[in-house]
Amino acid sequence: MTLLSVKNLYVFIEDKQVDLLGPISFSLELGENLTIMGETGAGKSLIAQAILGSLPTGLKSRGDILLKGEAIDNLSPKKRAALWGDIITALPQEPWLSLDPLMRSGQQVAETHRYFKSYNWKEAKKQTEQQFKKLDLSDTAQKRPFQLSGGMAQRVAFAAATAGDAELLLADEPTKGLDSHRHDKILSLLKAIPQKGDSLLTITHDLDLAYALGGKIIILKNGKIVEEGITHTVLSSPKASYTQALCAANPSSWPPLSSCTISSKENILVQSEKLRIGRNKIAFIKGLDFCLKAGESLAISGPSGIGKTSLLDTIIGSIKPMGGTLTRAEHIGKWEIQKLYQDPPTAFPPLISLKDNFKAVTKKHKMAWDQLLQLLENVELDASILERRPSNVSGGELQRLSFIRALIAKPKILLADEPTSRLDLITQETCLNLLKKLCREENIGIILVTHNQHIAEKWAHNHIDLNQFCV
Amino acid sequence: MIFFASYSPLKLYRKIGLSRSIGLGLLSIIIISTVIGPDLVGHDPAKQDLLHARQMPNAVHLLGTDHLGRDMAARLLSGARLSLSLGILSLVTAAFLGISLGIIAAWFGTWTDRFLTSFADAILALPGLLLVLILMASAPGSWWLLYIGISLTLWVEFFRYTRQRSRIILAHPSVDASKNLGLSNYFILTRHIFPELRNGLFTISAFGIASAITAIAALGFVSVGIRPPMAEWGLMMTQLLPYWREAPFLILQPIICLVLTILSLHLSVGGFHKK
Repeated sequence: MTLLSVKNLYVFIEDKQVDLLGPISFSLELGENLTIMGETGAGKSLIAQAILGSLPTGLKSRGDILLKGEAIDNLSPKKRAALWGDIITALPQEPWLSLDPLMRSGQQVAETHRYFKSYNWKEAKKQTEQQFKKLDLSDTAQKRPFQLSGGMAQRVAFAAATAGDAELLLADEPTKGLDSHRHDKILSLLKAIPQKGDSLLTITHDLDLAYALGGKIIILKNGKIVEEGITHTVLSSPKASYTQALCAANPSSWPPLSSCTISSKENILVQSEKLRIGRNKIAFIKGLDFCLKAGESLAISGPSGIGKTSLLDTIIGSIKPMGGTLTRAEHIGKWEIQKLYQDPPTAFPPLISLKDNFKAVTKKHKMAWDQLLQLLENVELDASILERRPSNVSGGELQRLSFIRALIAKPKILLADEPTSRLDLITQETCLNLLKKLCREENIGIILVTHNQHIAEKWAHNHIDLNQFCV
Repeated sequence: MIFFASYSPLKLYRKIGLSRSIGLGLLSIIIISTVIGPDLVGHDPAKQDLLHARQMPNAVHLLGTDHLGRDMAARLLSGARLSLSLGILSLVTAAFLGISLGIIAAWFGTWTDRFLTSFADAILALPGLLLVLILMASAPGSWWLLYIGISLTLWVEFFRYTRQRSRIILAHPSVDASKNLGLSNYFILTRHIFPELRNGLFTISAFGIASAITAIAALGFVSVGIRPPMAEWGLMMTQLLPYWREAPFLILQPIICLVLTILSLHLSVGGFHKK
């Protein structure tokens, strides 16, 4: 039975009559699994919002959306909202932000059972208990969201979203910002949905997730379908050039690093011996030895919460090592260790134009404005982009801008904390290649923190797996 | 001219919405008449004329005369001058104090923050008007004490808002990035903190002036604020109260002035969160 069918769906800006997306057509059977893939910022999420009827104000959709054979796109917002939880449900992006911070997690989920399935409270509690047991959450029912780890919070949100037994689950970027351990957890939860006979619509830029989920796939570029079919066939023998580029950009299919030698011994920038790191007298990492030379790249990998950020803070000098030695070369000046941040929009002051920011940085480090424009040209960015505010610039462009901003300070060491985890595969590859090229040209030593094993192995000269040094 | 070209009244209206348009329109009328009104009316607000007391509005006295034959229009405008100037002055003082201390508390944290926060909480624990009353009791009618008292009650709101917002902003990665790049504290202050505070401070300011004006009138009404023969709205209400039956239009005038002023201030910042 066809659960959802979408025909010639367009999403457009109401005032300007500009199409952002479309035409999109697909159908989803009960028990089936469909993945929509494409670049970040291409409006993939708009598809989910159009189906739910929760498009941001100013955006409208046209075309047909049929749910169980009935058109729902011209229903009143109130009637559409009545479908939520019952027939359609959505797994929120970054679920830990979607839980009520003051409510115990068991209570939040029981509420869904109480109001969607019309159980009485006693029965709802019992249902919640069973659900929690299945999800391995039994001891968390009495905890509030801030006491949960990210993975647990995600499972609680999953429990709340699926408690209404809706037939269609929309998962919008379910793996955004997750390390590989949590990635596997959410994958197994999502996989169970079609097996239960319900339908799953996943929107993602994560190729590994799409492959593991199987089912059908739609590849989007610039809001249009470029390729569709059975996931495994499409991804193993892509026909459209965009799909080919997408598959090639997956870190697991990157070519291995061509060996190059960093010869000079004198150029050691930072070196550690039996380093012990921790915060508030609790050690996370012990016995760490590493060495970074000019022009060299070092990748540090490990699951979240293992102390990667603390390690960077120790290198930059904002926390003191708990033991062992950490030697920085004496010629490294105050501003010559620079950082790149995980989420590009949070690294720029949000309410002023980029130009204002760059003016201040170039003035501080005595760089001519023309030289900056030259640098921008090198990374294929137009100078007009500086007139905008950070929120009006895409993540990939913003991350390239933050490379440039760090380069203005003429750093000797660059610390990059998951700089590409929120970017799509192709943008990630361009950004990382650019980063490597710039560092080689400027003879900068770079430390890259990543949770992706493939990036760590194939991108950097040296690789440290923090799991081995965990306390 | 560019200003007018790009902001025709209609465009401006669309941008700011109905309630704010009304509020800002009303507020500008009040401010303009306060500034140029007394000269246009031309009467001395303190000059008594007992032969022509409690007159209905007429050609000579546009809004009539009070129980001592003083021109009502001149007295209302003089009262508006006093209330608005004292309100704005107290607000500027309070805002300066509150914003700087708020940023200092957020910036330095630890005991500086604890000290300033407990001080602000202590002031907040006293009902605002009570604090002014205590001060006024030591020297009734003193303009300076009124000013200090009102500023002292108003700064807490600025302090609490600024401290709370700044703490969040200063913990943001972008501030860390700016510090790492060697940008000055001045940059962090003017590019990170102030742009984020601006809208909220506008709202608090408008509400602050409104409560300052209400406080001045309330104190005048209970005869501990501004002393006669100065014209002040609250004082005028007390003085005209005995005549409410014979000349209700007299006591209504200061009340309407007060209500319109407060209303215009509140409306002019309403709906700031909407785009």
